Amino acid sequence: MTQQSTNPPRFTFRTFVLLLLPILLLAGVIALFLRTGGGLDLESAAPIENLDIERYNLTRNVIELHVRNTGPEEINVAQVVINEAIMPFTIAPNTGISRLGRAVIHINYPWTYGEAYAVTIFTSNAIAFGVDIPVAFETPQADSATFWGFTLIGLYVGVIPIFLGIFWFPALRQLGRRTMTFLMAATAGLLIFLGLDTIAEALEFANEVPSSFQGIGLIGIGAVATFLLLDAISKAQTKTSGDETQRRLSVAFMIAVGIGFHNLGEGLAIGAAYSVGEIALGTFLVVGFIIQNITEGLGIIAPVLRDKPTIKNLAVMGLIGGAPAILGAWIGGYTPSPFLAVLFLAIGAGAIFEVIYEIAKLIQKDTTREAMPMTIFSGVLTGMLLLWVTGIFIK
Amino acid sequence: MKNQFSRRDFLKAGGLTLLGAAGTIGANTFLHSGHDHNKGGTTASTTHPIQHDGGDHGDLPNTVGEVDHEKNGFHPDDILTAFDYGEVSTLPNGQTLREYNILAHNKEVEVVPGIIYPAWTYNGRIPGPTIRATEGDRIRIHFTNGSNHPHSMHFHGFHAGIMDGVPGSGPGGMVEPGESFVYEFDAEPFGLHLYHCHVFPLARHIAKGLYGTFIVDPKAGRPPVDREMVMVMSGFDVDFDDANDFYAVNAIPFHYQNHPIQIKVGEKIRVYLVNILEFDLVNSFHLHANFFHYYPTGTSLTPAEFTDTIIQGQAQRGILEFTYKYPGMYMFHAHVTEFAELGWNGMFEVTE
Repeated sequence: MTQQSTNPPRFTFRTFVLLLLPILLLAGVIALFLRTGGGLDLESAAPIENLDIERYNLTRNVIELHVRNTGPEEINVAQVVINEAIMPFTIAPNTGISRLGRAVIHINYPWTYGEAYAVTIFTSNAIAFGVDIPVAFETPQADSATFWGFTLIGLYVGVIPIFLGIFWFPALRQLGRRTMTFLMAATAGLLIFLGLDTIAEALEFANEVPSSFQGIGLIGIGAVATFLLLDAISKAQTKTSGDETQRRLSVAFMIAVGIGFHNLGEGLAIGAAYSVGEIALGTFLVVGFIIQNITEGLGIIAPVLRDKPTIKNLAVMGLIGGAPAILGAWIGGYTPSPFLAVLFLAIGAGAIFEVIYEIAKLIQKDTTREAMPMTIFSGVLTGMLLLWVTGIFIK
Repeated sequence: MKNQFSRRDFLKAGGLTLLGAAGTIGANTFLHSGHDHNKGGTTASTTHPIQHDGGDHGDLPNTVGEVDHEKNGFHPDDILTAFDYGEVSTLPNGQTLREYNILAHNKEVEVVPGIIYPAWTYNGRIPGPTIRATEGDRIRIHFTNGSNHPHSMHFHGFHAGIMDGVPGSGPGGMVEPGESFVYEFDAEPFGLHLYHCHVFPLARHIAKGLYGTFIVDPKAGRPPVDREMVMVMSGFDVDFDDANDFYAVNAIPFHYQNHPIQIKVGEKIRVYLVNILEFDLVNSFHLHANFFHYYPTGTSLTPAEFTDTIIQGQAQRGILEFTYKYPGMYMFHAHVTEFAELGWNGMFEVTE
C-alpha cells in the first residue's frame, strides 16, 4: 500500500473502467426513466409550447416574422392573425418547427406607415403567441444609405466623443501628481458606473434571449471569463516587463478594450432600437451621447498622463474604444440578436471590472508614496456622478 | 426600451386603427386606380371568389389550409341544409310525436384549419342537429350525457319548468356524466328558436359547442321557397381568454368564402339565422348587392323589415328571405367587420 501511494498514479485500464462506471449507471437510469417515467406523472394537461418571435421585417405590403421554437417539442404553426384579421401566410422551411429550430413566416399585408399592428400566431394546439409592431415603417435593408446611416450613429456615439476626450491629453499633462491620481480615481468611478450600466443592459437583453439559451448564465460566463483572461494577460505582462511606463500603457489599452466592448453593446442596442423604430435618434439624444462618452476618452488617457505615449498609440486606443460602436450599430441594425448583445455586454462588463482592478493597483502604488484618502473618495465619486448627470440627457 | 404595448391597450385603440386602415385602403385604391387592380366582387372571375394580387396590395384575410371535415365527422355544407325531423309517430290523441336521440360528448374538433380544439358537442357536430317540427307537435328528446362534465339541453320555447334544462329545475337541469334525461314538450310557439347547454360556467359550456337550432313551422307552413338554409353564427375562443379568436357561420371560419354556396338567379332563398356568439355583445348579417325580408324570431308571417343588414344580440334569431336578380359572386358576412376578417365571411355564387 505504501509502495503504491508514493508512486505517481498511473492511468490503467482499471481506472478507465472505474471512471466509466458512473456514466454506464447514468445511461441505465436515463433508459429506465424514459421507459417508466420513474414513478412520476409527467404528462401535462396542455402541451407546453414556446415560440419566440425574434424579429420582424417590414417591406412594402409584406410582414415577415422570424420565429424560433424554444419549447420542449415540435411546434406547428396553424394560423396567423394580424389586427383582428386571419391572414394567409407562407412559412419556410416548414410548418413544423423542431426544438430550437427557426422559421420565417411571410404575410402579404398592406400595412400602413406609422400605424400599430398586433400579430398573433396560433399553433396547432391553439396556443397563441403575439408580437406587437408599435410603429410600422420599412425595416432598414442593407443598402449603402442605411449602411452609412448606422456608420454615422456609431461615429457619433463612439468614435467622436472618445477622441474629443483624448484631446484633453496635452492640457492634463500640465497637472500635478495629486491631480493625476484624482483623475485616475475619477476614471475608476466612471468605469464602475459604466460597468453597472453594462450589467444592467445585459440583464435587460437577457430577458429577450430564448430561455433555453440561459441569458443570465451567459452574462456570468462572458463577464467572468473576460475578467480572468485580462487578469492573466496583465500578470503575464508584469512578469515579462517590470517597466512601470509599459504597465500604465497596457492598462490604458485595456481600458480602451473594456470601453470598446461597452460601446459595441451600446451600438448594438441603439442599432436594434433604431431599426425597429423604438427610438428616434434626435439631435438632443446624439448630443447627450457625445457629452457622456467624452468622459470615456478621458478615462482611457488617465493612466498615461505622466508618460509620453506616441500619437499613434493614442489614436489606436481611441479607435479600440470608439469604433466598436459602429460595428455594433451595423449588427444591431441589420440582424438584432439578443444573444449576441448579451454576450458582448457581458464581455464588456468583465473587461471593465478587470480594468477597475488594474487602476486600483496603480492608484495603490501612488498612495503608498503619499496618502490621499479624500482625493480617491472625491475622484471616484466625481467619476460616477459625471456619468450619472450626463446620463440624464439620454435616458 | 421595450415598448409595453399590450393586447388590451391595442383593443382599446382598435377602433381608431380600423378607421385609419379604412382611410388608407381608400387612398391606395385611388392611387392604384390606373392599374388593373382586382378587388373581387362583380368583376372578379367566377372560378374563385377571392383572387390574390401577388402581394401588390397584400392578401385578403383567409385561413391557410383546409379543415379535415371527415375526421371532424360533420361538414358545414351538410349542416347548411340538414333538417332533423326526428323519428315520427302518432300519439293516441292524434298528436304527432317527434323523437330525437341526442348525445353530449367531448370531441377534439379541427375548428380552424390546423387547430384542434377540445370541443363539447351534441351528436358530434357543431352546431348541434337542427331540430325541426310543426307547431303543436310533441317533441321528445332522449338526452344522454357521454362526457365527463354535467350538461343539459335548454330549449327556447314554451315548456314546463322541469323541462327547462336549467340547474335547479329538476333532474333535467344538470345531467351528470353517464346519466340520461328525457325532455318532452309541445313545439310552440312557431318561429325560429334555439337550444343550448345551461350548466355553469355557462359561457364556456355554450362556446365550446353545445348549441343548435330549433325550428317550429307554423301549422299551415310558411310560403314555399326554392332553398332553405340554416346559419348559426358563433365563434371559438381557442386560447381560453374569454375573447373569441375566430368567428364563423356553421362553425368553420371562411368555409363558405372558400366554398361558395351555389344558388340560381330568381331562386327564392330562406335563411334561418341564429346568433349564439359568446363573449361579444352583438353579431350581424349583411347581404351584398341585395335586400332581404326579415322576420325577427320568425314568430310572424309578415316581415318586419326590408333591409340588407341586421343586428342580433346573443340568442337572437330571425328568418331572411331574398332572391338574386343578377348572376355573380356575392358576399355575406358580419358587418361587425372585425368578425368578418376573423372568419365570419361567406359567398353566394349566383348562376343563371
